[in-house]
Amino acid sequence: MEHFRIENLSFYYPTSKDKKSLDNVSLKIEKGEYIVLCGKSGSGKTTLLRHLKTVLTPHGKRTGEILFNGVSLNDTDNREQSSKIGYVMQNPDDQIVTDKVWHELAFGLESLGCGQKTMRSRVAEMACYFGIQDWFHRDVAVLSGGQKQLLNLASIMAMQPEVLILDEPTSQLDPIAASDFLNTVRKINTELGTTVIITEHRLEDIFPYADRAIVMDSGRIIADDTPRNIGKLLYEQNNPMFTAMPTPVRVFYNADGDGDCPLTVREGRAWLNKEFEIKPQIAEIPCKNIDDDIENPALSLKELWFRYEKDTPDILRGVSLEIPKGSISAIVGGNGAGKSTTLKAICGICKPYRGRIKVFGKPVNKFKSGELFKNCVSMLPQDPKSLFVKSKVSDELAEMTKDKNKINEVTETCQITDLMNNHPYDLSGGEQQRAALAKVLLTEPKILLLDEPTKGMDSFFKETFATILNKLKSQGITILMVSHDVEFCAKYADRVSMFFDGQILTTETPQNFFGSNSFYTTAANRMSKHVFKNAVTAENVVELYRKNKGGTV
Amino acid sequence: MKDDAFSKLHPAVNVLFFIGAICFGVLLQHPVYLLAGIFASGVYYFLLGGRKEIKNLLLMIPLFIFITLFNPIVNTRGVTVLFTYFDRPYTLEALIYGVAVAATFVLMILWFGCYGKVLTGDKVTCLFGNLAPSLSLLLVMVFRMIPNLLQKAKQIIGVRSSIGKGTAGKSSIKDKLGSGMTVIGVLTSWALEGSITTSDSMRSRGYGATKRTSFMVYRMTKTDWVLTLIMLTLLGIVVFFAANGGMNAEFLPERNITPINGFNVIGFIAYLGYLMIPTILNVKEVIQWNISESKI
Repeated sequence: MEHFRIENLSFYYPTSKDKKSLDNVSLKIEKGEYIVLCGKSGSGKTTLLRHLKTVLTPHGKRTGEILFNGVSLNDTDNREQSSKIGYVMQNPDDQIVTDKVWHELAFGLESLGCGQKTMRSRVAEMACYFGIQDWFHRDVAVLSGGQKQLLNLASIMAMQPEVLILDEPTSQLDPIAASDFLNTVRKINTELGTTVIITEHRLEDIFPYADRAIVMDSGRIIADDTPRNIGKLLYEQNNPMFTAMPTPVRVFYNADGDGDCPLTVREGRAWLNKEFEIKPQIAEIPCKNIDDDIENPALSLKELWFRYEKDTPDILRGVSLEIPKGSISAIVGGNGAGKSTTLKAICGICKPYRGRIKVFGKPVNKFKSGELFKNCVSMLPQDPKSLFVKSKVSDELAEMTKDKNKINEVTETCQITDLMNNHPYDLSGGEQQRAALAKVLLTEPKILLLDEPTKGMDSFFKETFATILNKLKSQGITILMVSHDVEFCAKYADRVSMFFDGQILTTETPQNFFGSNSFYTTAANRMSKHVFKNAVTAENVVELYRKNKGGTV
Repeated sequence: MKDDAFSKLHPAVNVLFFIGAICFGVLLQHPVYLLAGIFASGVYYFLLGGRKEIKNLLLMIPLFIFITLFNPIVNTRGVTVLFTYFDRPYTLEALIYGVAVAATFVLMILWFGCYGKVLTGDKVTCLFGNLAPSLSLLLVMVFRMIPNLLQKAKQIIGVRSSIGKGTAGKSSIKDKLGSGMTVIGVLTSWALEGSITTSDSMRSRGYGATKRTSFMVYRMTKTDWVLTLIMLTLLGIVVFFAANGGMNAEFLPERNITPINGFNVIGFIAYLGYLMIPTILNVKEVIQWNISESKI
C-alpha cells in the first residue's frame, strides 16, 4: 500500500514569485521503503520533505495534492501526524528542547498526552534500543553531537512513527558518528519496517542499501530509480551530482568498466579482482617521500602541553609539528583527540602550559597584542556562523577593511559576488563557509588555519572550495587544516599528519599515509588496495586502471 | 556525597521534609530546639558535601558570633544592662536574643544549602510538571538556554580574537563595550535562529496537539509512603507540643524559656527525630551495605 502519494505538487516561496521551488513533483512512496533523496544544495529537497508534514510546511503558493495513507495530508489531524510522521532535522543542538536526556525522550509522548504507564514503557524501550541507558540521566549539554542526534532520533521513535523523514541528519557529525547514526536508521528500516525518506551528502553509507534514489534539480525530480541505475544515468547525463556518488560508482564509470556497477567497497574489490586476474603491470602511483628537514618553517610547534582545567586530563601531550611555507597540510584523527585545540593554541585562544609555538621563526608570545592576526595568522572556525555579526555579507566584509579593491579581489576568489546582498544566515552551508573564508582572508593572512572546513558541504561545494584553496596556495599562503574528511585530505593536501593520544604521530604525503593504512583510509584505497599501491583517490584508481587497460589492449 | 540516600527518594518527600524543617526552624526560637536544628542540618550538610564543606561550616562560626554581638547594638530592650556606651544600654537579654537570631540565620543557610543540593532543577520542574506542565516546560527550556548561550558567547569571543577583532589590543572602555555589544548582537540572532528550529522540532513532535502530560521519572515507592507517614506523624507531635506551649521561648524584655522536662521531652525527641531522618537514612544504608557485604 502507498504511504505517501504526491500529485503534481508545485510550490513558490512568497519571496520568489517567478521561480518555482517545487515544479510539478509527483511521487509515490510505498510502505517500508528506504528512499534516498539527492540533489545539489538549493534543489528543493528540504522544501519537498517539509511538505510531508503540515506543521513544517513552508508558507507560499502551492498547487497539487499530498495524500498520506490515502487521505489528504491537510485532513489528517495534527495529533496523528505528530505521532506517525517523524522528522529529524539537520542541527542536533537546536532540535533538543529540554535539559535532560530522559525528559527529551519523553517530550513527544508528553505532548501527545500519554499516561505515565505508556510513557514509562516506551521511554525504557527506546533507551534500550538506542543504547541510551548509560546516559539516561545526563544533561543534554554534556552529550557529543552524535549522541545528540541519536537522542533526537530516539525521542521521535518513542512515538512509534510509520514514516521517518531525515533532512541531512549527519551533516554536522564526524564520519564515525555519522556512519553509526545511518546504521541505526537502516536498522530501524529493516527491523521495524518503518518507511525512511532521507537526504544526505554522504551517500557512501546509504546508497547501497536504499530501495530507490530520487534525484532533484531546480525543484524537479529528474530521476527516480534503483541506486545502481541512478549512477549510470547521472554519468550519461554528465550531471554534476555524479561527483556525490560513492567512490566505487565513480571509479567504475570514469574507467569505462564493463558489467554491473559496484556500489560498495566489497563489490568494488570484486570487480577489480575480476578485471585484473593477472597482476597489473603498472601497479603503483609514484610518490615522493616527505622531507623531514624543513628550512624556515612557516609554523613550528614544539612539545605543546595543554589541559582545559587544573584537574582534567591533558588534551595536548607534547604536540610537535612543522609546516613548510606555501603548502596545504592536514591534520586528521579521531573525535575529541585535540586537533581543534591545537589550532586554538596557535591562535592563542588556549594557552599551553608547556612548549613553544613559532610563527615564521618568531615565538608567538613575542608578538604584540593583535599583531599576530594582522597579515599573519587567521583562523576559519568550525562554525562559520560564529563569525557573522552583520545583516549583509557586504557589511561583514566591510567590517574588516575599507579598501574596496581588496574586497572585490576576495569576493572573486571565494566566488561570493552574487551573494553580497544576502543575510549571512540565509546562505547554504557551503556558501556560508565561503563567505566566512572571504572575511578571514581580508586580514591578509600568510598562514590560514581551517577547522573542519568541509563540514556540512556537499561534494559539489567541496570541489569549489578546493579550487579556492589551491588558488590561495599558489599565492603563497600556507594552509593548515584540521579535518575528519579523509577523502578531501587525500585529494587536496600536500602533507597529512595523524593526531592520536594528544600527539602528532606521523606526517606523510597523502599517498604514503593513506596507502599504508588499511582502516583509516579512503574508500578508493580500501577498494583498490589488493591490486594497486598508493591509489588513494578515485582519480588515482581510474588513472592506473586506464594505464593498464590501455597498455594491454 | 553523590549517592545520598535521602536524595534518592521521591522529590515530593524531599520537599515535604524541607518545608517542615525550614518552617519550624523559623518558628521555634527555643535555644535547645535551635541547637538541635543546627546539629541536624550541619551533619546532613556535611554528609552531602563531604570534606570540601568543612570550610563552609567553619565559616558559620564567625557569622554566628557577629550577629550575636551585633543584635544588642540595634536592639536596646531588656532588663539586665551589661554596660552602656554613648548613653545606650547593651543588655543581656538582647545578647541572648542575638544568639537565637544568629542561630536561626545559620540554620536557614544550612537547610537551604542542603535543599539546593538535594532538589536539583529537574526535580523541581518534575514536581511542577503535574500542576503546570507548560510552566514547567518553560523552566526546563530556560535551564537549557543559559549554559548554551554562555558557551556560545565564549566561542564567539574566541573566534573574533583569532581574526584580530578581539579585545586584546584595545585599551579604551568604549572599544571594549563595542565589541561586547557585537557579541551580544550575534548571540541574539543566533539564539533566534536556533529557536525557529526548536519550535519546529516541538510542533513536529505534537506540541500543542492535545493537553500535555508530564513524565515522572520518579515513582512513589513503599519507602516513600512509609517515610511520608512517619514525617507527618512526627510533625503532628511537634505541632501538638508547640501549640500547648511546650516550646515557648521569650527573650525580651525578660527571659522566659520553657524548660524541657516531663512530657515536653516527647516533643523534643519528635523534632530531633524528624530532622535527623536524612542522616538516619544514610547511616542505615551504610550499615545495611556493610552487613550484606560481609555476607558475600
